[in-house]
Amino acid sequence: GNFFDEFQLEGVAAEHNEIYLELVPENLSRALKTAQTAKTFKIKLTNKHCPCLRVAVELPSLSSSSRIVTHDIPVGVIPRRLWNDFREPSVPDFDVSIYLPALKTMKSVVERMKNLSNFIVIEANLSGEMNLKIETDLVCVTTHFKDLGNPPWASEDGCQSSARGRDLESMAEARIDIKKLQQLLAGQQVNPTKALCNIVSQRVVHFVLLHEDVSLQYFIPALA
Amino acid sequence: IYLKCILCCFLSLPVFGRAIHAIARISDEFWFDPIEKGLALRSVNSSRSAYACVFFSSMFFQHYCWTAVSQPCQKGKQLSLPCKLIIKSVLPVFRCANVLERNVEKCSIYRNINGRHITFQLLCKHGVVKTYNLTFQECDPLQAVFAKHLCPNVLKVHSRLLADIMIHFPASQEEVTLSVTPMKVCFKSYTEEDTDFSKTMLTEIQLNPKEFDYFQVGVDSEVTFCLKELRGLIAFSEATSVPISIHFDISGKPIAFSIEDMVLEASFILATLSEAEKETASQQPSCFSEQQESAEAIASKKPPWYENAPNMKPNMSPLAKQELRNIARVPSPVVTDREGPAMAKDHAVLEGEATESHQKVRMQVVFTFHSLFFGAVSCKEKDAVSHPCHSLATASDTEEDFGNMQRSPV
Repeated sequence: GNFFDEFQLEGVAAEHNEIYLELVPENLSRALKTAQTAKTFKIKLTNKHCPCLRVAVELPSLSSSSRIVTHDIPVGVIPRRLWNDFREPSVPDFDVSIYLPALKTMKSVVERMKNLSNFIVIEANLSGEMNLKIETDLVCVTTHFKDLGNPPWASEDGCQSSARGRDLESMAEARIDIKKLQQLLAGQQVNPTKALCNIVSQRVVHFVLLHEDVSLQYFIPALA
Repeated sequence: IYLKCILCCFLSLPVFGRAIHAIARISDEFWFDPIEKGLALRSVNSSRSAYACVFFSSMFFQHYCWTAVSQPCQKGKQLSLPCKLIIKSVLPVFRCANVLERNVEKCSIYRNINGRHITFQLLCKHGVVKTYNLTFQECDPLQAVFAKHLCPNVLKVHSRLLADIMIHFPASQEEVTLSVTPMKVCFKSYTEEDTDFSKTMLTEIQLNPKEFDYFQVGVDSEVTFCLKELRGLIAFSEATSVPISIHFDISGKPIAFSIEDMVLEASFILATLSEAEKETASQQPSCFSEQQESAEAIASKKPPWYENAPNMKPNMSPLAKQELRNIARVPSPVVTDREGPAMAKDHAVLEGEATESHQKVRMQVVFTFHSLFFGAVSCKEKDAVSHPCHSLATASDTEEDFGNMQRSPV
């Protein structure tokens, strides 16, 4: 709520004060593109012909009054009974948590690897080392990152997970679809304040990107 | 009868290149029409709902030379010999308009006597010479008549503003609606009754009339036209830095986007969707009864909007049918003594057709109000003589601008 100058929401009911909307991201992205020089920017949920997100952008103009651009983006309102499908997964009991290398570097490495293989293995340990590996019939390529640092996580009983006696050198790894990783990295336009990933061996990789007011989390399941 | 036409060099190559690109958005082929006063490039799309004309006066070129050798019986009439070129063959010549200015020192365009080619020759840096010989088709002149000065709504705006507006619409947006009242101006995505709103993103841009260099709204109106065809003109206008004038009326009547400065003029005339066929012309003037019906064949070509807009009447209004029958009425040559682009043909010229019956003149005047015209002169004597010049010369006694007219189905 603090992110916006003004924020009003009224959900279905007091104890379910949330609204789930489904939309085509391309539409919202296009609307936002036109708002780059906006004076003000407002999003409203309306129901004209059908449920819509009405994005109203006030743009500077040559005259005293502003130019107003309105985009009506059709959305689907998701009924409450399906809300469970979209529940945020809880932070898993991970084996290793590690800070990511510079996203730009990671992106160019992954982009080149994408041409060689459909899958990539991410492995990391609690000594700040991470490897990105691909393996095909013809070639194996590994990129090594060192001195990345491991974020301190406080677990429920107050002690850090690293204190749970895990061997610092031991790698936790997961094999994921490389396209999904590449899309995640390609989508980052702004450098986050903090970027880390948690690996549950052979199960899932959980990426957390923190900006000032915003957090982005990605869960990418591991493949066999 | 021979026509020799030489055009050499350019003051501004990128401007010419952008003009070609702008015309390319209308159609795959265009008319290359040199006359004494300059060079006109024209194009019309297959459904006859968009027409473009760019006229470069001789002063635009570093050197312009056009000569016609005429027969004595011409009585001093000057001839134009337009030809049709395929856009795709010309575009590579002007592919990168910006690069052109840097690498090309000179561009010559010429057509040899009796030649079957129009030659574009680029003299580039380092002694490289690129020669393009493009085969052309001889064809009937093309000309549209649109009485701009009779439009009640006139807006004048810098191309930057139009470009800034159109950027909010997706590149795939076909039709856009312009809605004006004396107090406000609005561009919005076109919607119709059976638009699926749950799948379509709609965009609307509201502007203050003060943003326009000139703003005159005589009648509140909402006109819908094809955006794709316009984008080329906007890019062209940005290259010339000349503001764009918009002339329009109520829905159904064409909208004209034009730019004009000392050395060039361009007009893009687009048909607009009509709300309903309100024409009441149920009676057809008897003077048209003898018209040829060949126009019916052309009438069957419907604009794309016909297919996509099931709400619109599939049949043409009776008025439209009348206009079609007027085609091929008088196969007269296009008057070549033009002061400017053919578009600027005035009301006055229409009324000057004293030789015609009064009623016919009146109907022709009405026609210019109602739709987009262009006269494709068809020479009755085509079969008689091989040379088009010759047949043009003998076609008619009257100086009529538009022999054949067809209403653009809107």
